[in-house]
Amino acid sequence: MGTARLVFDKWEGRYAARIRDVRSSAVRDLFGAASRPDMISLSGGMPEVREVPAHAVADAAHGAIVHAGTQALQYGSSEGRVELRETIVELMAENGVRVSTDDIIVTAGAQQGLDLLAKTFIDPGDVVICEGPTYLGALQAFSAYQPDIRCIPLDDHGMRMDLLEAELKRVGVRGAKFIYTIPNFHNPGGVTLSAERRRRLLELAREYDTPVIEDDPYGRLRFEGGHIKPLRALDDEIIYLGTFSKIFAPGLRLGWMIAPRPILAKVLLVKQAADLCGSAFAQVTAERYFAGTRWRKVLQGLARTYAVRRDAMLAALDEHFPPEAHWTRPEGGFFVWVELPEFLDTKTMLAEAVEHGVTYVPGDGFYPDGRGRNCMRLAFCYAEPEAITEGIRRLAEVLEDRLELYRAFIAAGALPDRSEGAA
Amino acid sequence: MSKEKIAVLMGGRSLERDVSLKSGERVCAALESLGYRVLPLDVTAELVETLRAERPDACYIALHGKYGEDGTIQELLEFLGIPYTGPGVTASALAWDKSLTKRFIAEEGILTPAWITLTADAFKEMGAATALDLMPEAVGGFPVCVKPTKQGSALGLARIDGPDQLAQALLDALSYSDAAMVEKWIDGCELAVSVLDADDGPQVLPAVEIEAKSGLFDFSAMYTRGETDYYVPARLGPEVAAIVEQYAARVHELLDCRDVSRVDMVVDADGTPYVLECNTSPGMTETSLLPMAAQAAGMSFQDVVERLIRDALSRRG
Repeated sequence: MGTARLVFDKWEGRYAARIRDVRSSAVRDLFGAASRPDMISLSGGMPEVREVPAHAVADAAHGAIVHAGTQALQYGSSEGRVELRETIVELMAENGVRVSTDDIIVTAGAQQGLDLLAKTFIDPGDVVICEGPTYLGALQAFSAYQPDIRCIPLDDHGMRMDLLEAELKRVGVRGAKFIYTIPNFHNPGGVTLSAERRRRLLELAREYDTPVIEDDPYGRLRFEGGHIKPLRALDDEIIYLGTFSKIFAPGLRLGWMIAPRPILAKVLLVKQAADLCGSAFAQVTAERYFAGTRWRKVLQGLARTYAVRRDAMLAALDEHFPPEAHWTRPEGGFFVWVELPEFLDTKTMLAEAVEHGVTYVPGDGFYPDGRGRNCMRLAFCYAEPEAITEGIRRLAEVLEDRLELYRAFIAAGALPDRSEGAA
Repeated sequence: MSKEKIAVLMGGRSLERDVSLKSGERVCAALESLGYRVLPLDVTAELVETLRAERPDACYIALHGKYGEDGTIQELLEFLGIPYTGPGVTASALAWDKSLTKRFIAEEGILTPAWITLTADAFKEMGAATALDLMPEAVGGFPVCVKPTKQGSALGLARIDGPDQLAQALLDALSYSDAAMVEKWIDGCELAVSVLDADDGPQVLPAVEIEAKSGLFDFSAMYTRGETDYYVPARLGPEVAAIVEQYAARVHELLDCRDVSRVDMVVDADGTPYVLECNTSPGMTETSLLPMAAQAAGMSFQDVVERLIRDALSRRG
């Protein structure tokens, strides 16, 4: 039998001030609801790990112990194994970025990179510039250090450079500690920063002498269109965050940071305090996987799988969603971002959606200040195409209900009709 | 020997959950210090099972918003045979619906600002939106207050100064409740008047005057320290104070608010008080108005809690 008994937090009032501002992740909380068997989850950004060849990973792990056990099981260096960094050098070279192993630190996923950068740069009250919306995990990492976050809106071509310029004018040269951007297949926006805007971003960053953090988890998951060079390929002062989560598997908790050496040195000190060193076992396994498996083929297969799922989602949205809704059409990655009429609240709507058997992530988690109430992030990476179609259909039912009232007002001419026009 | 076993009900899934948990935690601490055995309970699907297994002597209702203030929990507890604090089913249902409250008290000659209530169905099924041009005149012109008829803590409430904001405000209000009210906005001195039942009738506590620094006593102003100034007793002349006291006692009795209520009013520039609404489960957090008023009357937080729980216990069958 369950119980209604409540247990209070007896340590309330004793936590550090910085914790008060740490936000709970709507995505993590949802993972509980999403595990019900009948539930269609359009919320989690989980890669399709079933397509990662289990035997190849098993071989790599086995080899790590049998052939390199004394290294795989021992403490390693804080910056990560040089062998893995060499693998990363090759990966980056394919992307047009020339670095050496000394320009790289191996991190516990890109998430750790975000946390370490936040710890290294942010004092309470410091201005930090992000996209609006931005990656929820970044907001979580940054908020622990109490920044003043300014958000720059996105459109179909990524961050708005005119609005970035206006904000930089407001805060002045070196006014912001850094600009944080997710240029490829934005999480949650789905959009990609155009080549022209990347050049403009770099111009502005130099003009206002402001560091840029480029977070690139999905760059290799492009379904169509031409590859656009990363910011780091155009400017060697960019701080670049990469990850093995989507090109290999998230379970290993492996990512990397490329940054100018002085910054890397500071981050390394902070990292040592956080974890001494990363998992040597995971690193050796990854090295062996990348050396011994046709990982590019696996990745191509994965990209095709995700493309089919994206197509299913977009087709279902076109068919079922009401005209008042607008959404992005990503050329890769995992997510579609939906915008609904302003009066709709996707947080309160979530309870109803769960009752209908579908989950998504409400938009306000992706803004630091409560905006995004009328938006939601839909993930197509994880569910099968039929489930995606059904999930969108269920979601559309919930929306219809809410929109009936809205339409009565439009019909009476009491509100402007915004159903035509771009998102 | 310890006193009775009291279940404190709080939380639930209303939009005021967090406020309720704060109220509840304070009440639990007070009851414990008074020697009661305390059972803190969240309102979840396991509530009824837990109550039947634990068999408390009474329930202290620290719930705000839907289910706690609309008669739902009261009716359920009567069904389970457990006495509870505060007003009964009818009073709760009447007070929770602001539109109903106003209609009721207006019929008895108590002043309340002019208003119109429209349901979501009237908009969806009957084209009520086409009559929005009649709106401000129907209540005496702008500015008006648009709010959901059944919601607490000023959620969904907005002050509207012109016709172009009206439709959006109604839509916002209707996302919280199935009916929205457009009411003449009265600029003036905002008051919260708490009432406790005594042996010889309702005891009206000193009125609390509320001055939100932003100009709007919204959710943030209510629960964030420093955003609002309070004056206890309110800065009223003796005649106005007397009417305010009369009104509070009258509303409390009319709605049959057993044991406790808080009547919210506004006094206009001419010194005329208007009743806005009545609350049957007033907040008990550190920034709440009932504890503030009680303190001004020389009662501690524990005194209030003890009084209410003893009232409930006296109703044991």
